Amino acid sequence: MIHSTAVIDESAKISPDAVIGPGVVVGAYAIIGPKVEIGEGTEIAAHAVIKKNCIIGKHNKIHSFVSLADDPQDIHYKGQESWLHIGDHNIIREFSTIHRSAKEGGITSVGDHNFIMCYAHIAHDCKIANHVVFANNATVGGHVNVSDHATLGGSALVHQNCNVGAYSFVGGASALNQDVLPYVMVHGVPAHPIAVNIVGLRRHGFSKEVIDHIRSAYRILFRRGYGLMNARAELEKMALECKELELMLEAIDKSTRGIAMTTLGVDESVED
Amino acid sequence: MIHATAIIDPSAKLAADVSVGPYSVIGPEVEIGAGTTVGSNALIAKNTKIGKGNIIYSYASLGNDSQDLKYKGGEAWLHIGDHNTFREFCTINRGSGGSDITLIGDHNLFMSYTHVAHDCRVGNYVVFSNLATLAGHIQVDDYAIIGGGAVVHQFCNIGAHSFIGGAAGLGQDAMPYVIFHGVPAYPISVNLVGLRRHGFSESAIEHIRHAYRILFRRGNKLEDAREELIKMVPACPEIQLMIDAIDRSQRGIARRSRSSKEESAQ
Repeated sequence: MIHSTAVIDESAKISPDAVIGPGVVVGAYAIIGPKVEIGEGTEIAAHAVIKKNCIIGKHNKIHSFVSLADDPQDIHYKGQESWLHIGDHNIIREFSTIHRSAKEGGITSVGDHNFIMCYAHIAHDCKIANHVVFANNATVGGHVNVSDHATLGGSALVHQNCNVGAYSFVGGASALNQDVLPYVMVHGVPAHPIAVNIVGLRRHGFSKEVIDHIRSAYRILFRRGYGLMNARAELEKMALECKELELMLEAIDKSTRGIAMTTLGVDESVED
Repeated sequence: MIHATAIIDPSAKLAADVSVGPYSVIGPEVEIGAGTTVGSNALIAKNTKIGKGNIIYSYASLGNDSQDLKYKGGEAWLHIGDHNTFREFCTINRGSGGSDITLIGDHNLFMSYTHVAHDCRVGNYVVFSNLATLAGHIQVDDYAIIGGGAVVHQFCNIGAHSFIGGAAGLGQDAMPYVIFHGVPAYPISVNLVGLRRHGFSESAIEHIRHAYRILFRRGNKLEDAREELIKMVPACPEIQLMIDAIDRSQRGIARRSRSSKEESAQ
């Protein structure tokens, strides 16, 4: 079903059971497969492919050669019926690939206002929240959760099952194989914490007082050699005064792969 | 020859002998010069001037919008010179508007998956290996080579005849004539192979090696090293490029990182 106000290039191929909303624009040679829903005002540029089982919200801009909702790159995948959900106001640039879940009825999900730059890859079963930036070539493995306002730098790689915390920043060319705590900037191969993401926090209106609490928490976690569980106990006390630290506690508690900490051989005196 | 399935905007101006392969899409305000070939499934989005004798392979995406969160539409341009090669899946974005255009010179090679962001200025005879990725506002000078998977931070300058190693992450300026490597990238030596290939005399190369040691191996402050370099210019005019690179730098010069110093001490 194609809404009467949608503008579809005559060379585009659209499955008869796709639902195309009002004001949607579909460019030349784009392909939209079965069980795809596209919300109002979303633009799909030339040569983009939306394979199947995909629900896309409103006012997204999907650029040329993007591939959405193709089969997961999981060797265990045997053709289960699975989904990709994309929210509203996302920008997805050329050659990015976002795959469906690898489980029966499973969902890979992307929230709202995310900016996915060229060649970025979001694998099966990832949960990407809102206002996240993936720079070029940023690649996340399966089951990765990326929280609000996180930024992945150019060519950053994230191991499967990792969590990337809210307002965190993964530096360009990094390889992250454990969780990044909220508010923290990590860099390197393997990625380790290098500082609090102060620029990001200021841009999002965190007060100086809150930033100071977060910096203290950062030092306790990564610069004092306390060990994670002792540091967590300290943070719990601090969270009474600064509720923003609760996000860090939750991130420690939900981690399955552990938290990226300062690695052996990394200069301990790297500035905070 | 224009293939029947190619879609070309009526406002595009293609020279008579330009060939365009199947399913390629060429948008509005595009000019393509004589002898340029466009492969199949390629995209030249809009507001792009392309010179003569370029080869654009399948799935290349030229002249699309900048990936700048500040960009809110409006006229913005990409200018490409002559005899460049753009391999599969490479993306070259337009500028971010006004006088800021993305500029590509002549005889450059962009291998597969390479990316040039908004407002970059690429000189001539530059090689981008697979996946080499430039952020916005980067200047790349003649004969530089950017290795496979290398990533460059916005506003960096990459000097002439420099070499950025594979998988490097360059966060500050790369000096002319120098090889960089690592994350973050730091200088590892003079690009001797590159200089010999391009006909630098042994005497010029010796001067450049000396300048390299002054800049990166003696623990000199940058401004003191610069003073030393100025004294070398009468004997070796090639050194002037290094001084210019110091003077134009906005992000500072990539030098030995603290951790790499420790490595060399071990």
